[in-house]
Amino acid sequence: MKGIKPVTRKELYHILRDPKSLIIIFIMPIFMIFIYGYAISFDLNNINIGIIDYSKSDLSEKLQGKFLNNKYFKLAGPKADDNRSIESYEKLLKSGELDEIMIIPGDFSEKVKKGTPVDIGFIIDGSDSNTANIIYQYDEMILMAFIEDHQNIRDMLNISTKIYFNPELKSAYFFIPGINAILLMMISALLTSLSMSREKESGSIDLIFISPIKSYEIIIGKTIAYIFVSFLVEALILLFSNFWFGLPIRGDILTLFFFSLIFIFTGLSLGIMISMVAPDQKTAMLATLLATMLPSIMLSGFIFPITSLGKVLRVISSIIPATYFLKIIRGVVLKGASFSEFVTDGAILILMSIILIAVAAKKFSKMRKVAG
Amino acid sequence: MKILYFIKKEFLEISRQRELLFMMIIAPIFQLLVLGYIVTTDVKNVPVGMIDLSSGKETVKIINRITGSDLFDVKYISKTNRDTVQELREGNIKAVIVFRDPVKAGNKIKKYPEVQILMDGVDSNTSQIAAGYFNGIIRNYILEDIKSLGVSPIVRSKPLIRFNPELRSINYMGPGIVALLLTMITVFITSISLVREKEQQTIDTLLISRLNPFEIYIGKALPMILMGIVNLCIGTLFAVLWFNIPVRGSLFYLLISVLIYLAAISSYGMIISVFSTSQQQALFFSLFSMITFILLSGLLTPLENIPAGLKWLVMINPLSYLIKIIREIFLKGNGIEQFYGDLLSLGLITLVISSISIFNFKKFVSK
Repeated sequence: MKGIKPVTRKELYHILRDPKSLIIIFIMPIFMIFIYGYAISFDLNNINIGIIDYSKSDLSEKLQGKFLNNKYFKLAGPKADDNRSIESYEKLLKSGELDEIMIIPGDFSEKVKKGTPVDIGFIIDGSDSNTANIIYQYDEMILMAFIEDHQNIRDMLNISTKIYFNPELKSAYFFIPGINAILLMMISALLTSLSMSREKESGSIDLIFISPIKSYEIIIGKTIAYIFVSFLVEALILLFSNFWFGLPIRGDILTLFFFSLIFIFTGLSLGIMISMVAPDQKTAMLATLLATMLPSIMLSGFIFPITSLGKVLRVISSIIPATYFLKIIRGVVLKGASFSEFVTDGAILILMSIILIAVAAKKFSKMRKVAG
Repeated sequence: MKILYFIKKEFLEISRQRELLFMMIIAPIFQLLVLGYIVTTDVKNVPVGMIDLSSGKETVKIINRITGSDLFDVKYISKTNRDTVQELREGNIKAVIVFRDPVKAGNKIKKYPEVQILMDGVDSNTSQIAAGYFNGIIRNYILEDIKSLGVSPIVRSKPLIRFNPELRSINYMGPGIVALLLTMITVFITSISLVREKEQQTIDTLLISRLNPFEIYIGKALPMILMGIVNLCIGTLFAVLWFNIPVRGSLFYLLISVLIYLAAISSYGMIISVFSTSQQQALFFSLFSMITFILLSGLLTPLENIPAGLKWLVMINPLSYLIKIIREIFLKGNGIEQFYGDLLSLGLITLVISSISIFNFKKFVSK
């Protein structure tokens, strides 16, 4: 056991001697939270709508007003007049200046007064199918409101919505705990995978092989150094998002730290495993990136809800450590969930680390034997 | 002609590294495949619970509609109240719908239950979409129901979808993913290229050779650009053949835009390479900048929401232009007259980045 301490100390020297990397490690999280907090959201407001009104009546004005007096739509394109043809509007749709064109037919007013159904035309830019869907939903919603006003069926329906944990539906609240998980994964796995393959590349690994230090001591020693760094990153993220963006931490912070430690350890184990298998730094880091960045961002529920994924992808998602930690960190930070709710998730993470470490240790002893 | 030998050496170096070649050719296909399926999944199977405290028959009909739709995965239908907040907290359920008898009778044609939707707001996007689904299903039900009583809605919408009428999201995301892969691979490989020679000290051999700095620079950057083009071809072919994404515009302009973009992004990689002293640093710098490029490119989230004070970040991001152009070419079949502005901006950015890059490189070499 006494081999662990010197290995940790050596590794910490390595980290401290490379201030450029260190700066990136600590600046990157803050910058990302900043961008996510301010710049990234899925909300769709200010849809550019062009309106062609052939009816030009009080009623059609009213319908226009319904569309324009909310945060969703913004009148764009030329002001409606008869000289403008539908084609000229379609051109604007093509160049992207308009997202949607609404066409109110000439007999709109008469038909509505008579009570005969009338069709309103909508031409929607479908390139982004998601946006197009939402735009169409908004259209329907506003038409519905218009109908309710006119046919006196307004009070028939009473739907109320109550939102828990994030009542203002801020996307930042959703993203920030997620970024925390992803950065922890990336930093912990990358740092360790590079540390070992660097020794391989420079040949200093032979020095380790002939030293009296045991294999597991080397692995644990290296791990402790990087646990320390990763933990600092996490604390920094939490502090910054709490002070700057007012992200509440509703649950028990010790619970969060406990599970973070387990998660960091899983990330480090993955990094060590990769570095044992990879021949050089370049391969190690590309493999680590492939194994951590994309899956953690795409398949862990960070952006896309897991329940919507197909069966195969769901299986893949269940072997990604970030999936479990995301659930834990969102639960503790936003919902105030308690320790007992995440015992299984924690156990799965521990199991993953044990498997990864076992593979790494076996590979390491083999290498040592070959070298010795 | 010296430069040709140098370029040949660079190619030899690349082709000798099996793993690297694998990463550059197989990985993009794999990623396009996985990403293609992930980013195009629409929100569905939202796990919900339902509590029916009403006495009317209408509730049963509405619940049947919700159960029948694949937008929701109904976990339970309960006749009694439950501890919903705790259920939401545990996270196995994203929303609970409660139906109650209406409190007061108005001037209504018919009585419908009062609906209360309790949602987990953590995933704000999914919550909003799910709430929209609920509203849609319930409203549609009522509209159809009153139709049978002789009241039909006076206004109907008649939508017409342009450019992507079947609303396939892969058509929109696919081209963007190709651009993303180009970026990732080019930045990574270029940013390590010089550092590696620094670490192994072969850089000195290179510097005392008879190549001038500009030739070294071109010799390093050109193979990367060519590899990028190869990647573009693989990506585009795969997008067209596997995902059936239409290419409506001119491939020539696509190639031009990508070439300009690759020049920008490989120059950027060279800046990192000059600046870094170890592969680890190069990796961190490129990782950091890549994430920023991607987040601010409009690939995953709409750019309209970015506040005016931060818009300039998007405007100096070369990836945001490429993604816009590539989408316009693929989906809308737009010609140069529609995107020359974006192409010019991209060219300008490329010019600035490569000037900085070459300047830095010269300074580094003369040291």
